[in-house]
Amino acid sequence: MNVLVLFAHPLADSYGRAIFDQVMSSLDGDNHDVRSHDLWRENFDPVLSAVEKRNHFAAPETKTANDPLLATHVADLEWCEAIVFVYPSWWSAPPAIMKGWFDRVLMQGVAWTFPEGASRLHAGLARVRRLVAVTTYGSSRWVNALEGEPGKATIRRGLRVLCNPRCRSSWIAHYGVDRATHEARSDFLAKLPRRLHRALH
Amino acid sequence: MRVLVIHSHPVTDSFSGALRDSAIEGARAAGHDVRVLDLGAMSFNPVMSAEELRGYKAVTPVANEDLTVHIDAVRWADVLVFVYPTWWSALPAQLKGWLERVMRPGVAFVFDEDNKVRPGLRQVRRIVGITTYGSKWPYVKLMKDSGRRTLLRALKLNTSWRTRSKWIALYGIDGASEEKRTHFLAEVRRSMEKL
Repeated sequence: MNVLVLFAHPLADSYGRAIFDQVMSSLDGDNHDVRSHDLWRENFDPVLSAVEKRNHFAAPETKTANDPLLATHVADLEWCEAIVFVYPSWWSAPPAIMKGWFDRVLMQGVAWTFPEGASRLHAGLARVRRLVAVTTYGSSRWVNALEGEPGKATIRRGLRVLCNPRCRSSWIAHYGVDRATHEARSDFLAKLPRRLHRALH
Repeated sequence: MRVLVIHSHPVTDSFSGALRDSAIEGARAAGHDVRVLDLGAMSFNPVMSAEELRGYKAVTPVANEDLTVHIDAVRWADVLVFVYPTWWSALPAQLKGWLERVMRPGVAFVFDEDNKVRPGLRQVRRIVGITTYGSKWPYVKLMKDSGRRTLLRALKLNTSWRTRSKWIALYGIDGASEEKRTHFLAEVRRSMEKL
């Protein structure tokens, strides 16, 4: 399977980075074709510009012509059959740098179209059959349920409707990581390959 | 009351900019003190740096120089008004990053001795969201309205139990007539007058 991995964490020695490394090695072990983006390392700019906003309904090339990194993101999105998001949940949702990937890369003509007379967006990512999020939360599962899991809704609903109608989404989460023991963290890492294998099966 | 308007949109003369102006006019007409943070015009950088995250939980946080004006404004305010377009059912990345960088420990919350988050915005009496959605109301609800949840649940958990919230939204803006838009601007102004 063609798997696109999107990773967000600013620190190279973090638990988030360890999770990303584990994701990459388990995908490799399962013989997937993998492309990945470390959004912090590549200095991805998450802010949709005024020019991009004005060209909201224009052809993708008008936005990617002078932005090679954005062009690569678009090409990788068109190539992939599965997307794996790896990030720490901040305010119960992906960090701004990853929200910006949604705002900028999920553009008209790539992720969706809006035909004349339509009442809502038409899906453009028919190739995508699997969505997976691997994420950590500082606070408990209970607190996040109370907050309504906005990040989960954006991926499993907002993005999911743009994908293949039979697309399956999986949520692999470590709650309460701020207060987790070293054993709990290691255990999550150890079980990750199996869970990822099942999610992409 | 002391009203802080936080606006995020890349184009200054957009409909979102008109909403910002209506909100400000309404609040001023009612005699409130108003401060504005226009994140687009300020080119606010929403990306937390590695250094900033390393100092996140420190007693004296390594807050970058460019955050000072934002932190001061939050500490000054007793009404927080967010004005933005909803994208992918959530806040634009720039506004999401504002929450991450400005609503930090010592400002929006504190960590107690068990490393649990405790509220730090008890002085805030109102949270107001003013936003536009491309989709119509039923579809927004089906998508679970992430942006509203972020502000009226996740952020609100850091305020006092007496803090009230208000949501003023225009649904289906993609197909909305000029008349509907004008009507919504007036509604925003009226709501802000009645804070």
